[in-house]
Amino acid sequence: MTPALLELDEVSLSRGGRVVLDRVTLRVQAGQVTAIVGPSGAGKSSLLRCAVGLDRLDAGRVRVDGHDALELDPRVLRRRVALVAQHPVMLPGTVADNLAYALPAGAVDGEAARRSLERAGLDVSFASRVAGELSGGERARVAVARALTRDPVALLLDEPTAALDPARAAGVEALMRELAGLGLAVLVASHDVAIVRRSADAAVLLEAGRVTASGTAADVLDAWAGRPA
Amino acid sequence: MSQAAVGQVVVSVALVLAAIALSWRARIGLERELAVVSIRAIVQLTAVGAVVTLVFQHVGLAAAFVLVMLGVAAWTSGRRIRAIPHGPLLAGAAIGLPALLALGLLLAAQAFPATPRGIVPVAGILIGGAMAAASLTGRRLLEELHDRLDEIETRLLLGASAREALATPLRRAVTTALVPALDQTRIVGLVTLPGTFVGLVLGGASPATAARIQLTVLLSLLFVELTASLLLAHLVSRVVIVAGERIEVPQAQARYGA
Ligand SMILES: Nc1ncnc2c1ncn2[C@@H]1O[C@H](COP(=O)(O)OP(=O)(O)OP(=O)(O)O)[C@@H](O)[C@H]1O
Ligand SMILES: [Mg+2]
Repeated sequence: MTPALLELDEVSLSRGGRVVLDRVTLRVQAGQVTAIVGPSGAGKSSLLRCAVGLDRLDAGRVRVDGHDALELDPRVLRRRVALVAQHPVMLPGTVADNLAYALPAGAVDGEAARRSLERAGLDVSFASRVAGELSGGERARVAVARALTRDPVALLLDEPTAALDPARAAGVEALMRELAGLGLAVLVASHDVAIVRRSADAAVLLEAGRVTASGTAADVLDAWAGRPA
Repeated sequence: MSQAAVGQVVVSVALVLAAIALSWRARIGLERELAVVSIRAIVQLTAVGAVVTLVFQHVGLAAAFVLVMLGVAAWTSGRRIRAIPHGPLLAGAAIGLPALLALGLLLAAQAFPATPRGIVPVAGILIGGAMAAASLTGRRLLEELHDRLDEIETRLLLGASAREALATPLRRAVTTALVPALDQTRIVGLVTLPGTFVGLVLGGASPATAARIQLTVLLSLLFVELTASLLLAHLVSRVVIVAGERIEVPQAQARYGA
């Protein structure tokens, strides 16, 4: 097995005195779509936040390309491993401002913006729209485009299809496959069993902060379906 | 007692009694509170009057009085940022540094006499202004940190440093805190005649002298309030920025005081 691009090793996290993640181990391979499934509150979003150093781990280790994440500049880490949050927030200004935020001046030219927007399923005309006025589904896609302008090696998507109609959701599904095909590591937390079954190569089942099953998407989803509710 | 003193006592006491009667008549239920705050005001001002008489006679006591004012201001402002450890200390630094610096400059330039009568009122105005700015800054910054944490985290996620991610909330807090100082300066003489001016004119100074002194104080306050606001914002952000370009807002509950 090739070394994983993104690796969580025995990661534990507590928030507000409660254990949210309990010794979670997870490997995400480049060129694959890996899914995190599990009931609401299981810790899926928390796990993604830990992967980009937004929360301080109680224990465990995150590795990117074999390097301990703590030894990387967090700003560089968060561009290489880009997280699209469950409820993406638009920054003040236009969509173009959002795409270019915190990048060196000129890093996102018109061509780069067009490519990211189109990959995320948006017309290039969105670049000049005021970001705060977009619909929920449009925001979700701008957030994906915003992550892509950072040229990440891994893309972490938290419920990327929750705000989308079926056609747009299918677009995100196709995008995940396309990016994996380009060699990115894609990690997606999703409730959408059908999408996970179709698009994920591997999956883990997270329940109450613990990994309770891992393997192929089909096996993990079957294991989850077999649980008493 | 002079004619004026008799008039002051008679009219003000009569008005308070009228207010109490009105409250009773209209069944508002504020009679007791009206009486209590009136008596408190009499006691407090009489006490301060006595202390100020003493303070005005000894430079050492005047300096101590200024320190007490600073302490009260730091404590009051620190309560606004209760969630931040050592809030009163941070507020004391943010208030005291610019206020005492401006006071020192004014005294060095002999803009005011370096006597208790010169120092205490000017120090009071500068410390009071700095306290208002620090309180507003702290309160607004904590609101931003709490209500807009997801926006701040979005900036972090996009690769900004924690300092960069806090730049916008910080600017919002400072601009909000400066609104009263800016407006007070903008309308001076047109809507209100500020305290220093009124006091000086009533005390017998010519309106021209009074206006000059008032202007000195108002313009100094712009510097003092902006600096106090920036300092407090800076000190608070140093507390919430933690290793790994992360923001940690201490204990979500009891975030910003009443
Ligand atoms: N800031 C916080 N303080 C305290 N507890 C928190 C905080 N954030 C999350 N939690 C708790 O951590 C647990 C995991 O939350 P998380 O958001 O990771 O779940 P999730 O699997 O993403 O759920 P969902 O499917 O609903 O998005 C939950 O019990 C949640 O209440
Ligand atoms: Mg979640």
